[in-house]
Amino acid sequence: VTPTRDQIRSDAGRAGGGAPPRRGRGRRPGAGTLAAFIAPALILFLLFVLVPVLFAGYTAFFRWNGLGGLPTDFAGLENFRTLVADEVFLGDLGRIGLITVLSIAVQLPMAFGLAMLLHQRFPGRTAFRLLFFVPYILTEAVTAVLFGLIFSPRRGFADAVLAGLGADGRIGWLSDRGIVLFVIFGILTWKFFGFHMILYLAGRQNIPEELYEAARVDGATGRQLFRHITLPLMGPTVRITVFLSVIGTVQLFDLVYVLTKGGPYHASETLAITMYEQGFVRGQIGYASALSIAMFLISLVFALIYQRYVLSRDTQGALTSTDGGRT
Amino acid sequence: MRNPLRRPRALLAAGAAAALALTAAACGDSGESDADITFWHIQNEDPMKSTWAAMADEWSEESGLTVEPSAIAVEDFKTRLSTQTQAGDLPGLYNTWGGGVLAEQVEAGLVRDISGLECLDKVNPIALESYTIDGKLYAIPFDQGVVGFWYNKDLFAQAGITTTPTTWTEFTAAVQTLKDAGITPIALGAADKWPVHYYWTYLTMRLVGLDGLAAAAEAGDFSGEGFVQAGQLLADLAAMEPFQEGFESATYGEVDGQAAHMGEGIAAMELMGQWAPQVQRDASGTEGPGDALGFFPFPALDGGPGVATEFLGGGGGFAAGADAPEEIEDFMCYLLEEENQARAVKDGNFSTVAADPAAVVPEMNAEQQAIADALAKATDTQLYLDQAYPPAIGSIINDASQGLILGEIDSAEFVTMVNEAWAAEQ
Repeated sequence: VTPTRDQIRSDAGRAGGGAPPRRGRGRRPGAGTLAAFIAPALILFLLFVLVPVLFAGYTAFFRWNGLGGLPTDFAGLENFRTLVADEVFLGDLGRIGLITVLSIAVQLPMAFGLAMLLHQRFPGRTAFRLLFFVPYILTEAVTAVLFGLIFSPRRGFADAVLAGLGADGRIGWLSDRGIVLFVIFGILTWKFFGFHMILYLAGRQNIPEELYEAARVDGATGRQLFRHITLPLMGPTVRITVFLSVIGTVQLFDLVYVLTKGGPYHASETLAITMYEQGFVRGQIGYASALSIAMFLISLVFALIYQRYVLSRDTQGALTSTDGGRT
Repeated sequence: MRNPLRRPRALLAAGAAAALALTAAACGDSGESDADITFWHIQNEDPMKSTWAAMADEWSEESGLTVEPSAIAVEDFKTRLSTQTQAGDLPGLYNTWGGGVLAEQVEAGLVRDISGLECLDKVNPIALESYTIDGKLYAIPFDQGVVGFWYNKDLFAQAGITTTPTTWTEFTAAVQTLKDAGITPIALGAADKWPVHYYWTYLTMRLVGLDGLAAAAEAGDFSGEGFVQAGQLLADLAAMEPFQEGFESATYGEVDGQAAHMGEGIAAMELMGQWAPQVQRDASGTEGPGDALGFFPFPALDGGPGVATEFLGGGGGFAAGADAPEEIEDFMCYLLEEENQARAVKDGNFSTVAADPAAVVPEMNAEQQAIADALAKATDTQLYLDQAYPPAIGSIINDASQGLILGEIDSAEFVTMVNEAWAAEQ
């Protein structure tokens, strides 16, 4: 149990329970105002998220090329049976798993370490923070084009640097099936570590300095400060970045598609690329729908389990019992 | 209680909400155009890009209708068009290669029947074949040609090769000679997949013949000995490592891609269609090999019914979306006027489809002459398989061709993949 969480609880209790100190300004808005504010977002959400999701759930049970009205050729579970035997799909799962593991083992710790460094006071701190965050601002497509040039097989910058260092021969950065996925992971790290770093930095800044002062008075070493104050109080931030990282990996598409189209021969293909290829290149919308349902389920199951067992401590009080004191 | 500000606030809220909804509606509509005719073509480099735009403007002035040309790179074009097909709304006038892809669009009722076009006498009837489905015409041609080996005469000479190979044995020997001389024998953009499928297609054309291919497509069964053998020959060729370094992730038309390797005179040959010399120049930003560029047909193979005068080929055409205004036929005829055909041949380096070639191109350049000679000698042609067959089959053939040359699948697995795709399509 940490001080911050206790604070959250007592805040929640105060707001819900006793005399309402902020009641005057926080009056419940009328139904009309509520509707006016909620309707646009709700309509868009229904139209562009919920309806397509339900429709995909429907078309996943058909053989359908997407042309000429609604699907008619009912196929039962055939698409799903094909899916679980599809080597490309199973390969996608493996590749996604690898990138997830690498992200959690390499990318996030690196971002964490940098955040700790950038929390210290030193000249040029702001410039460094800005610099490390810049790659995150680039769109994925631009990043892919950029690295496509860097790793270009003949006149690429990467090979030129290696040659300048005296290395013999070239590396098939994107053409060697054994390393292309690691190259892509490197690019993903370059692009996203700044984002995680900013989150960690914000999390670190929220830890009250008094805690460190008190611990120092008690004679705690730097290592102990980190182990018993920083790490536990950064817990919520770490858990949410892991969550964002995993969900982002499951949906990985733009960067990889522009860079390699998932090749050579599926070596860097992701779930979303397989879905796109099946749906829009091969015209097998039914099968692609089944794949998208699988992606949806993977994300959903992961999100539910993660929320239930990992994030639950963080969201308790904040999300689940705002109304607790009133009833 | 009654705050005088409340009413304006509510108004403001409603206004903001309405503005948001409008923005969203406008976003949903961004793919649409206000022009009467949208015109999608794939000549995204000058001079041809500007020439199409100029023709569109000229006709637009004459007819009073607006035309909006969009130049789209070929790979993007294919995906955008298939999305557009699924949305059931094809552009007013758009590039097509005919075959199974066009047939699927026709079947969905998205393409205008132009059998009654008044200016068809301006084109060679042979060029209309790819666009004729069940006796009805759905597109006008503007280019017609064949796929074959474009080679760099200087590099061949440098390796000591004096005659172009006419049999597969001679061909593989030439590849080895080039390799021994330290020259990259073949440029290939394997990431795009379709450049690889030309090899497999040509090998099957030689080993099972055009009739054999047609019969296999009819039955959805590519299990014949010839198909497996064709895959094996391609795998054997790949095992010689004849392609440039990094071909696995190279594209056809981009930086350091297949065409650029030819344009810069680094690779000795590529298997490509009539557009190859132009793309070599565009992709490399150079003048290309120039006079050193030669052409020879895909070699003959012993033991099969196919002969070297049977070509893989096709060309570009324009089909009209079903919703296009009826003046679209006027526009098509405008494009087919001899003067405009001549401009397209000159600026786009197309192979003419004119009924009277002399009227359109009195003097062909060497590249155009090479294609014209091949067409004149051609005893039969086969449309690119990724266009001739439905997309689900064509893309499997492309995919499997890539897997085969990377050694990820063998020729038996190739055949199984294609058969399964046909079975799923039935």
